[in-house]
Amino acid sequence: MSQDNPDIQEILTTVKEFAEGVAGRSSGAERYDALCAAFLMGVLQRELNLGGQQDDDQLAALRGLLSEQSEQGGSAGLDLTEVELTEMALPELYQVFSKNVREGRYDHDWQSAFDFAFKQVVDKVKVTNPEHLEVEHRES
Amino acid sequence: MSGAGGQAVIDNIVSKLSVAARRRFGEAVLVENIAVATLGASNRTLLFDLVEGTSRRRLVLRQETVKSEFSPFISTRDQYRILKVVYGHGLLIPEPVFELEAIDDLDNGFVVACVEGETLPKTLLTDPNLETARKRFAAQSGEFLARLHAIDPAEVAFLETTPDSIDPLQAQIDRYEGYGHCYPGLEVGIRWLENNRPADAQRKFIHGEYRNGNVILGPEGIKAVLDWECAHIGSAMEEFGWLCMRSWRYGQLDKPVAGFGPRSELYSAYEANGGETVDEEAVRWWEIFATFRWAVINMMQIDGHMSGVRRSLPFACCGRNIAMVEYDMLMAIKGDYS
Repeated sequence: MSQDNPDIQEILTTVKEFAEGVAGRSSGAERYDALCAAFLMGVLQRELNLGGQQDDDQLAALRGLLSEQSEQGGSAGLDLTEVELTEMALPELYQVFSKNVREGRYDHDWQSAFDFAFKQVVDKVKVTNPEHLEVEHRES
Repeated sequence: MSGAGGQAVIDNIVSKLSVAARRRFGEAVLVENIAVATLGASNRTLLFDLVEGTSRRRLVLRQETVKSEFSPFISTRDQYRILKVVYGHGLLIPEPVFELEAIDDLDNGFVVACVEGETLPKTLLTDPNLETARKRFAAQSGEFLARLHAIDPAEVAFLETTPDSIDPLQAQIDRYEGYGHCYPGLEVGIRWLENNRPADAQRKFIHGEYRNGNVILGPEGIKAVLDWECAHIGSAMEEFGWLCMRSWRYGQLDKPVAGFGPRSELYSAYEANGGETVDEEAVRWWEIFATFRWAVINMMQIDGHMSGVRRSLPFACCGRNIAMVEYDMLMAIKGDYS
């Protein structure tokens, strides 16, 4: 990371302000494109601020959830060891979670699966467009 | 479409369109006054005047732009066949004028009459000139859909083989899996949909994408219904689920019928015009299904952007917008949204 100004946040703010300015003095497709560009700059800014912590939280939550499932064994269980779970990166864990949801392995513990997925979605919307969330989810 | 490259594409289309028009309407006709509708996501739409002597007629060229094995759209050939059937029943749609052929070298598509009016969703919900149209929309939609669903599906039997006619949920799951990206929220939603399917319903010819944004409104109400690329055979309740999903309300959340009015006006008009009794529990399932389907359409757009086939800033936004659709879906499953 550069020590020099402008830092990443300032660069993003500058480009976002430019895109908003273009939107304000244009019309039609150009205005729409400029609004989209400003929106994407905002997404990037929020992801830089929130993304790291969200990933850490989700990794911990998902490892806990899947580890609990591994301990249950039987048809609801996972064929993964604790070590394998610990070594998996977040995208791989999403895949494991999703496969198990689709195969009905959480039908008996639906609320746990739903709660994890809902929290992951709320995290994503906090990055994409926090105003889309109901007030009680904006600070959760 | 903008820039010199985009203009060259348009010039090429107009040149070929002029030849296509002369082939059908005689050597004297001219194609003039071209305008490109820029906000179409799945088709290229070009407006033009067909000039024959002193008469001038405004027409619309629709060309297919999405070409993917996971495309949710029926062929333009089938769309044109549908337009002829629906127009023949006297419903409010643009008059079909001619279908493109291979000799036109304009790819797949067709030409219909231009219907003057407004289509931009937010304008429809705010323009003071459309106040009366807004008040009438829910009831007019009920009447329109009742008349559409009364058409014998045998008249559009070619739609029976489309994936959405066979199993609409599986059709969306297949498309979703085709894009190869994992969304835990959608996975939970899919499982809920699989575990809570409504009972089999009467099979009707349905529009499949009837919503704010696919209708033309004038001051007195609906002037034409557009965008028949998702038409198929299915449950009438699917139509209501799509129409009432949260994304089409554009902030008017207390007006479930696409931000215009209450469900009661839609359902009453539907039943009063010969439609079947509305099953509100089934509509709820279809509304949650609609969010999944909308997420999959957004995946198509971001896939077009990422693959380089149709790069654009709005399509880039579609990728991130999926999270909001997932949120709406899970909130509806929780029972917190209606």
